Amino acid sequence: MLEHLNPAAAAPRRVVIIGAGGFVGGSIRARLESDGVATLALTRKEVDLLQAGAAAKLAGLLRPGDAVVLVSAVAPAKTVSVLMDNLRMAQAVCDAVAGLELSHLLYISSDAVYADDQNPVTEFSYCAPSTLHGMMHAARELMLKSATTAPIAFLRPTLVYGASDPHGGYGPNRFRRQAEKGEPITIFGEGEERRDHILVDDVAALAALILRHRSRGALNAVTGVSTSFHEIARMVASQAGGRVEVKSVPRPGPRPHLLHRFFDITQCHQAFPGFRFTPLAEGLAQSLRRK
Amino acid sequence: MTAPVIGFAGMTHLGVNSAAAAAARGYSTVWFDPDRAMVGRLESGEFPVVEPGLVELANTNRERISFTSDATALGRCAVVYIACDVPTDEQGDSDLSSVRRLIDTVSAGLARDAVLVVLCQVPPGFTRALDWPVAQRYYQVETLVFGSAVERALHPERFIVGCADPAVPLPGPYRGFLEAFGCPVLPMRYESAELAKIAINCCLVASVTVANTLAGLSERIGADWNEIVPALRLDRRIGHHAYLAPGLGLAGGNLERDLATVLRLAEETGSHVELVRASLADSRQRRDWPLRTLHQELLAGHPDAVVAVLGLSYKENTHSTKNSPSLALIRHLGPWPLRVHDPVVPARAAGHPRATGCATALEAATGADALAIMTPWPAYREVSPSDLRRVMRGRVILDPYRVLDGAAARAAGFDYFALGVPVLRAGEKATRA
Repeated sequence: MLEHLNPAAAAPRRVVIIGAGGFVGGSIRARLESDGVATLALTRKEVDLLQAGAAAKLAGLLRPGDAVVLVSAVAPAKTVSVLMDNLRMAQAVCDAVAGLELSHLLYISSDAVYADDQNPVTEFSYCAPSTLHGMMHAARELMLKSATTAPIAFLRPTLVYGASDPHGGYGPNRFRRQAEKGEPITIFGEGEERRDHILVDDVAALAALILRHRSRGALNAVTGVSTSFHEIARMVASQAGGRVEVKSVPRPGPRPHLLHRFFDITQCHQAFPGFRFTPLAEGLAQSLRRK
Repeated sequence: MTAPVIGFAGMTHLGVNSAAAAAARGYSTVWFDPDRAMVGRLESGEFPVVEPGLVELANTNRERISFTSDATALGRCAVVYIACDVPTDEQGDSDLSSVRRLIDTVSAGLARDAVLVVLCQVPPGFTRALDWPVAQRYYQVETLVFGSAVERALHPERFIVGCADPAVPLPGPYRGFLEAFGCPVLPMRYESAELAKIAINCCLVASVTVANTLAGLSERIGADWNEIVPALRLDRRIGHHAYLAPGLGLAGGNLERDLATVLRLAEETGSHVELVRASLADSRQRRDWPLRTLHQELLAGHPDAVVAVLGLSYKENTHSTKNSPSLALIRHLGPWPLRVHDPVVPARAAGHPRATGCATALEAATGADALAIMTPWPAYREVSPSDLRRVMRGRVILDPYRVLDGAAARAAGFDYFALGVPVLRAGEKATRA
């Protein structure tokens, strides 16, 4: 579902990254800079999107012809208050870009925009979020679309992992931290739920490709391989030298309604035929080494 | 009494096969097309379509065939069929302007009592809106099947005829012509007949969708869809001729056209047509099975991999590439060098900058890392896995339609992928003889 306005890849003149201090934003910045792309990296220090006057301040930093990546968010958006903060942040960006002739806009969204009960998920799946977090991303996509005439791409990552992830959410990042501390890796129940996990470097690489091709449309940042939490825990334990135990603990709540989630990555093959995802075991090993 | 002359306007796949069948039934026929060059080629025996038995049938009945690019020559016909192509866009939506144009061209020179029969695929409401006397205006459902068009034209299961009033008997010459084929004739109102055509295709699509859905599941749970199919065929509610072979999505354009028409009618009327949407989604998903499999097995991280593609047409025994799964695959293999072969479609149809056309299947396979048999041409059944092993560099065979013997391919050292059955890996023991 991506259309390349630059069929042959070409470096954008300048990419402004809003949210360059975060886990994903920082990786995108590093990737673009290592590719030799001129960037303007904006963090909360330069522009706090929740402060009064943020839109004007941001507008003052943007130039016609810029490509803009919006990755800034307060995540996960689990409460109404955080949801509204995220929408206000997006509103500031919308106000800043309105009337400005951007060359391209890339929004780092989320696979949470899709309905829970769809399997396998593709870019053709219905956007019907079942969480505030998903609704936040879906609303932001529409807000941005309404605010600019520039070509827009939505990159929708699934569960992202990597060495610099600040979150300790259930999955690879938490397992790695537990292993590094020599603690048992704890999985809920049998850890049988299968999910798709993508290395943050791969998300950044896809973002860079989208920017180079000036693509518009939507693409899921997913690997197409779903692995159980139990299997991931065993991989991490093994990579930590086998000294770490994998321990089952009671689930904090009922077993999830959605036991497994799969993605069909045909659209990625079609959009970027030469792209290779980092296999999970390789990505986990890289994350351990970098730490 | 002299048998009436039957005219066919539009020397298309449909027109040529229908006209040849009429001549074979003993009727004098006029084959009209406004394209003079096309008529010239037909006269010299060069047919615009590939169909088993077509050229022989036309040659055998040559004395009852009159070719012309002059519409007034249809003036001696008692019945004239309109059989032009109705082009569709990527969404399957029809452009009916060519039908209207052809009717305008033809109708001016017809005899006052001539019967005009629309044979091309038109949406409900089209025939009633035409400007021709209702007593001489009919719509007849075509059930052309590419690759077996002659057989079906000679031996139709039935004729479905759309009329202004089905209670009024068909005009004598038209009725007599249809009865010459010895099958039931089912008159019904125009709209019913136009929808009947769509209904037939929707039933076919539903069968294909079921087959594709469960074949996909078979691949993942260790079942073999081919073992299940005979059991279904013996169920009289399903039947021997049901479309149960899994495939790479809808292709050819005709089924897609009817689904697009249903979606349009549903939008206009508020009908519930989720079945059709699901079928289209299934079609898209299955069409890309070879692309996913190639990426998973070979392409990721191998920028120099060579892929051999056998077959470019959308199915065997036809030159048509409309919505061909092979071309859909090739379109997304831009970075990789290809070696392609098709018995009738030239390699340039692949439209791939790095495609090399090959004279034989084995030549195409030479040096390839993966082989994809994208059209089940009969000739490909003659290719032996051991010969492939000898000439190929890699060990991946995609054979969605199971043209080769999978067990022999595995025994020859290939990883063998087909629709409806789990992968057969080289070196793995066979689970059954």
